[in-house]
Amino acid sequence: MLKGLFLASGGLLIFLVAHVALFRWFMPERRFVAMVRLAAAIGVGMIAFHRMIPSDLGFLPASSTGAGWGVDLLNGTLVYGFLFIGYCMFYFLVDRGFSGRIMIEIEQSPERRLRRQDIVARYSMEAVLRRRLGEMLEIGRIVVKEGRFCNTAKGQSAAAMFAFVKRFLQLGEGG
Amino acid sequence: MRGLVAGLLAFAVYFIVQVAVFHSIKVTRRATVLVTIWIAGLAVYAGLYAALPDDSALWPAPFVAASDGLTFTCGVLLYFFLFMGYAQFIYMAESSVGARTMIELSVNPEKGLTLEELTGRYRHDWMLGRRLARMVQAGYLIEENGWYRTTGRGRLVAGVLAHCKRVLCLGPGG
Repeated sequence: MLKGLFLASGGLLIFLVAHVALFRWFMPERRFVAMVRLAAAIGVGMIAFHRMIPSDLGFLPASSTGAGWGVDLLNGTLVYGFLFIGYCMFYFLVDRGFSGRIMIEIEQSPERRLRRQDIVARYSMEAVLRRRLGEMLEIGRIVVKEGRFCNTAKGQSAAAMFAFVKRFLQLGEGG
Repeated sequence: MRGLVAGLLAFAVYFIVQVAVFHSIKVTRRATVLVTIWIAGLAVYAGLYAALPDDSALWPAPFVAASDGLTFTCGVLLYFFLFMGYAQFIYMAESSVGARTMIELSVNPEKGLTLEELTGRYRHDWMLGRRLARMVQAGYLIEENGWYRTTGRGRLVAGVLAHCKRVLCLGPGG
C-alpha cells in the first residue's frame, strides 16, 4: 500500500506548490473554490496515474507491493482527501483565524503589547461580522430583504443543525 | 481493508463515547477530553483489528492486503484523520461566527435582523473577550494590568501565520 501513500503525499506536494503559485500570480476572487478545483484536478490525475504505473514505483521493496490495486487506490485517495481537508483547516486558520489576527496585531504593535481598546481600534469586530455576512450572502446561506439579513432555507437548516449540536453537546452559545 | 475497516469502526465507537460524555457532563477543557478519548480509542482500534479476519477471507482480490504493520498503520491514519475532521467540526459548531449568526437569524426567520439588531444580540466586546480569555488560558497571551502581550508560543504562532498570509497574499484577514 506504499504506492498509494507515495502518490497521495506527492499529490499534496504538487497541490501546495500549484496553490501558492495560483494565489501569488493570479489572485483568484473565489479563493476556496479555486483551491477545491485544483485539488480535485490533481486527485483525478493521481487516480489515473495510479493505474498507469507499476506497483513498486521502480524502487519499493517487494514486501510492500503485495496489496490489491483496489485497496491501495482507496487508501491513497482517502489519505489525499484527508490531507487536503487538513490543509483547508490550516488555510482557514491563516485566512480567518480571529485569535491569530489578534496575536499578529499585538506582535506588530510598536510596544508589542496592546490593551483591549487598542485591539478593537486595529481590528474592528464589526468588520469581522460584515466579512462573514458577505461570505454567507455569496454562498447563499443568507439574503438581504429590505435592509434585514434573513436565513435562506439552506441557512435555516445549517442554523438548526448547529443549534442542535451546541445544545446536545453542551457547547454553550459560543461564536 | 482490515486496517481501514477497523479504523472506521474505532471512530464510530469514539464518536458514540464522545457524544455521550459531552451530552452527560458539562466539559470545560474540551480539547483535552477530545484527545484523551481519542487516545483511549487506540486500544479499541487494536482490539477491533485483532478481531477482524484477514482480507482474503472477506474481500475480492483487488481489495486484499496482507495483515502487516503497514495495513495496521493505515487504519490508525484513517482513525486519526476522521478524528481531526470531526474535531474541526466541533470547533466550527462551537466558535464559528457564521454559525452563531445563522442561529441568531433563525430566531425570527421571516423578519430577520438588521446589522444593529444582530450586534445587539451577538456583542463585539463579548466576542473579543471570549477569544482573549481563551488565548490567555491556552498560553498564547499574557494579561498584565489590562495589557495583552504574546508568550513565546504566541509569538511563534503569530510569526508563522503572518508569514503564510504574506506568501499566499491573503491580506490581514481575520
